[in-house]
Amino acid sequence: MNEARSIKQNPLSDALPNFRNLGVTLRILLLSNAMALLVAVVKAHGWQDFLLQMTQIVALLTPIMLSGLLLLGLVQPWLYRLGYWRGALAVNVAVSLLALFIYYLGGELYQPDLDGAAYFDALRCVLLSVAMCGLLLMYFRLRARGLSLALEDAHLQVLRARIRPHFLFNTINAVLGIVRAEPKRAETALEDMADLFRMAMAEAQDLVLVQQEIQLSKQYIALEQLRMGDRLSVDWQVLDMPDDALIPVLLLQPLLENAVYHGIESLIEGGCIHVLLRRNGGTLQIRVENPRPAASAEPHAGNKIALKNIRERLSLLFDAEASYQVITGKDYYRVEITLPYVKEKRHDHNRTGFARLHR
Amino acid sequence: MTTIELALRVFIVDDETPARNRLRELLGDCNEQLPLVVVGEAANGREALDKLAETTADVVLLDIRMPQMDGIELAQHLSKLPSPPVFVFTTAYDAYAIKAFELHAIDYLLKPIRLGRLFDALTRARSAVPVQTEVLRDLLPEARKHLSIHERGKIHLITIEEVLFMRAELKYITVRTAEREYLIEESLTALEKEFATRFIRVHRNCLVAKDAIVGFERGGEEGESGWQVKLKGLNERMAISRRQQYIVKEFS
Repeated sequence: MNEARSIKQNPLSDALPNFRNLGVTLRILLLSNAMALLVAVVKAHGWQDFLLQMTQIVALLTPIMLSGLLLLGLVQPWLYRLGYWRGALAVNVAVSLLALFIYYLGGELYQPDLDGAAYFDALRCVLLSVAMCGLLLMYFRLRARGLSLALEDAHLQVLRARIRPHFLFNTINAVLGIVRAEPKRAETALEDMADLFRMAMAEAQDLVLVQQEIQLSKQYIALEQLRMGDRLSVDWQVLDMPDDALIPVLLLQPLLENAVYHGIESLIEGGCIHVLLRRNGGTLQIRVENPRPAASAEPHAGNKIALKNIRERLSLLFDAEASYQVITGKDYYRVEITLPYVKEKRHDHNRTGFARLHR
Repeated sequence: MTTIELALRVFIVDDETPARNRLRELLGDCNEQLPLVVVGEAANGREALDKLAETTADVVLLDIRMPQMDGIELAQHLSKLPSPPVFVFTTAYDAYAIKAFELHAIDYLLKPIRLGRLFDALTRARSAVPVQTEVLRDLLPEARKHLSIHERGKIHLITIEEVLFMRAELKYITVRTAEREYLIEESLTALEKEFATRFIRVHRNCLVAKDAIVGFERGGEEGESGWQVKLKGLNERMAISRRQQYIVKEFS
């Protein structure tokens, strides 16, 4: 009962954060320092004292955080293999030990009086470490939940867009229009349609091979070309794109759909959509540009929803490492996306493993 | 009488080639029971207007969603033809239009189009009365993108962006573009309402395109007390009535 299970259990929500990601690192540092600030506020008797308290806390916190992040980043592959809960436990233990180690290594710096309170001090040290780790892990878990929701949303939207009456009925009508004269072409069109629907209805996954997404987008374009003929052309430029590169599923196709629906369809002469996919060192660059009627008003609401979802998924998946930009020119519309180059993990027997980005 | 004379003359307008193919095939199927002839087809509004100026059709099958000019606006312009055809609209999905068609008992076909429905529509079309232009105007949710001028048996289209001003003169309205003047038979009040975002009333009898305004001058019939508006590329100055003089302040 594979299908039934996949509906109930959400395969995406439980994953440890990606300690190697710049955005995750920044978030951890920011949140831990914010907590330190709160503690300082609680303990302080005045402005002078507040600064003193803060300095003391940060002096202990910073080495623990930095070395902790370094350690977790190093042992990350091993942590992932443990699964979520055991991984979380390992993170807690590692950070607590690290905190104790630094606390005692610091000697005089952190312990002004070495009398009977030493045992309490150690315990407090562990307790605070666990509390902070726990809070941060909970935060990232909630964020991941948000991502899986956004992803499901994207699938729903694409499905809805697929089933958008205009597309569905017009395409069926177009297929009927060629079925007598060009039965072979009609067959291909129906096959493409099936693939599109299958992808939209597929079990939620984060990332797919870039070639897969390109293939899907090309099938979509073929269907639109069936209706629009010469009016629609696409200039594909795929430069230096490694075979193992992954991108978020249904990232490119909705962009093309927007370009067709809001750009090419409203131009009598039609036009050409320029698609550029390029690897640039450690990043991938995606650019979609389409002509649009000069006098036309703002893009539709539907357009904005699709774009909003893409932005949301990019930020949840890659945080600060992805960027997204829309340029609305007088007679053109351009979307530019930059995201980190994530490789497919080969020889990974975990079925969902390859298409999954650890956060 | 020969069968050719009896045959129903059908014209197809759709921007998608396969959709036109489909209609032609289905019309071919209908032909066995209902004598008809396809007198032409067009991929957009302008082409349809040009072709229908030369050939007469009894029925025009008209797609609603087309680039630049949708089917409903096209129908409005086509109804100015000397012997306007009966319109049968085709659409994949357009909830708003369908509701309006039902309301006014205007015939429409849903894509994918079925032979039976097409046959029924064509049978009805023989006895149908052409739709009133006013009704078609009600169907259109937004302003037209063109004005049509019926001149010597031909219909000219002017895109609304070209129009600099519209002035009521006795029975007609003068429509001025950078090149020349045209006469149309519409009401200035209705035009003002339809194109409220583009035009502003400067005088009881005159609407001016806001984009075309380049400046204001004192003078005119009322002497130094009155204002006139200067329009891009025109030497003629349009008088601003006393009541509308707030415009001068708003624009400068």
